[in-house]
Amino acid sequence: MVFHALGDPMRFRIVEALRTGERAVNDLVDKVEIHQSGVSRHLRILQEAGLVQVRPEGQKRIYSLRPEPLRELNAWITSYRHFWEARLDRFAHALKQKQKRQLPDKKENSK
Amino acid sequence: MSGNQDRQRIKIEKTYKASINDVWHLWTTKDGIESWWGPDGFTTQVLKLNLRAGGTLRYLMTATGAAQAAFMKKAGMPLTTEGRISYTEVILHERLAYTHLADFIPGVEPYDVATTVEFFVEGEDVRMVLTFDAMHSEEWTQRAAMGHESQLGRLEKVLADVN
Repeated sequence: MVFHALGDPMRFRIVEALRTGERAVNDLVDKVEIHQSGVSRHLRILQEAGLVQVRPEGQKRIYSLRPEPLRELNAWITSYRHFWEARLDRFAHALKQKQKRQLPDKKENSK
Repeated sequence: MSGNQDRQRIKIEKTYKASINDVWHLWTTKDGIESWWGPDGFTTQVLKLNLRAGGTLRYLMTATGAAQAAFMKKAGMPLTTEGRISYTEVILHERLAYTHLADFIPGVEPYDVATTVEFFVEGEDVRMVLTFDAMHSEEWTQRAAMGHESQLGRLEKVLADVN
């Protein structure tokens, strides 16, 4: 859901525009330079994915980012990196073992 | 952080003093894969390996480390689980691509991840570049293909701000 919502470049621009703080719809339309109906549609999808929240202010609707799903995504990315770093440590070790077996005359072959 | 983070998806790069034969062997043979695939505290047993685009690798992961086995028991999970990856590209000594359901990260919903491994022979070294793309929808895949792959890199920036 989060990936789907962010997979669209226009929605991604909206999320980027909201990084610096909350914004009214008109403000976003200026910022990302697409038609208001488009922005509204994208905002609805972002809202359904839990990425943005909205509050009324007089006539205006003010949008802001919800950090939770982004944190989750960040946790995912971080876990994935850590997972692979550990796996590649084992890869390096396995490679050394393989090289040792191929060179039985090399020193320290005491396994 | 250096500027090249801008254009990355999730990317990991390693250089090994090794022959391309050895490196390729570890990625593409039963005993090679079993020697490092892991994760830590788990042994891998390759059940079936069909190394070609469209082929699959099926394997069993068994918790053998004391801590890992205890954790799995406590979490009510079986000690052995099956894993599967589907190869999408196999180019001898150059490139390996596959998709895999990443369902092993605690607390995170499973995702299809497309992994590409590129091998570059540089003198006596082999440089290995791994790229990961979490693709959940057709749309994401298409956008990525259309040259929007820098989005994940930009995403990491957004995340850095939010956190």
